Amino acid sequence: MAGSPSPLTTHVLNTAMGVPGSNMSLSLHRQDPLTKAWNLITTGITNDDGRCPGLITTQLFTSGVYKLHFETAQYWASRGEASFYPYVEIVFTINEPGQKYHIPLLLSRFSYSTYRGS
Amino acid sequence: MAAAESSPLTTHVLNTGDGIPGAKMALSLHRLDSQLMIWTMLNVGTTNEDGRCSVLISREAFTPGMYKLRFETGAYWESLDQTCFYPYVEVVFTISDPDQRFHLPLLMSRFSYSTYRGS
Repeated sequence: MAGSPSPLTTHVLNTAMGVPGSNMSLSLHRQDPLTKAWNLITTGITNDDGRCPGLITTQLFTSGVYKLHFETAQYWASRGEASFYPYVEIVFTINEPGQKYHIPLLLSRFSYSTYRGS
Repeated sequence: MAAAESSPLTTHVLNTGDGIPGAKMALSLHRLDSQLMIWTMLNVGTTNEDGRCSVLISREAFTPGMYKLRFETGAYWESLDQTCFYPYVEVVFTISDPDQRFHLPLLMSRFSYSTYRGS
């Protein structure tokens, strides 16, 4: 049964090589507003296109502070290279969970960038 | 007193949304204790009018390991009466050769940021 697409999506791009960041492990977490502890929502691995569908359902996507954790050093190590960043965490605030949020990660061994896209 | 130029780790915050330095942004430097697996705060600071915070750590204290620079981006944009998608930004990096110099800028707007190892 096909569910509705995740309201939160990501896309990893290896800008050093001009290819998608495929087979990168990642995880999505939500911060408990009272304890400030991070709760794991899902883990995943990017596909050949650097994407990871199904991060969260519309029902679970409530307002709050979330973080996407990307295993960047592990990714570069699988390619036989070292990385300046052992991992990348992007922490963001969702105030309007009815909207769609696309959070890419553009990555090289010594740089990265992210933005709220569409 | 050691000159700022000799600091092995520097940063520079740029507000790319407005095209100005990210001045008066609070930030902190932490090192991971690899045995206890907890972060130890080494220093706190605030960027100056040019968005820089040059004396983050001394040469002597700058040993190999995993570090993180945490930038209080939410508070920064709040002081400008604006919201920010990112309540804070943490850049986690590995130092293998502490004899080198590491310049880690943060280019940021309300809905984007980037960082790189510069010079």
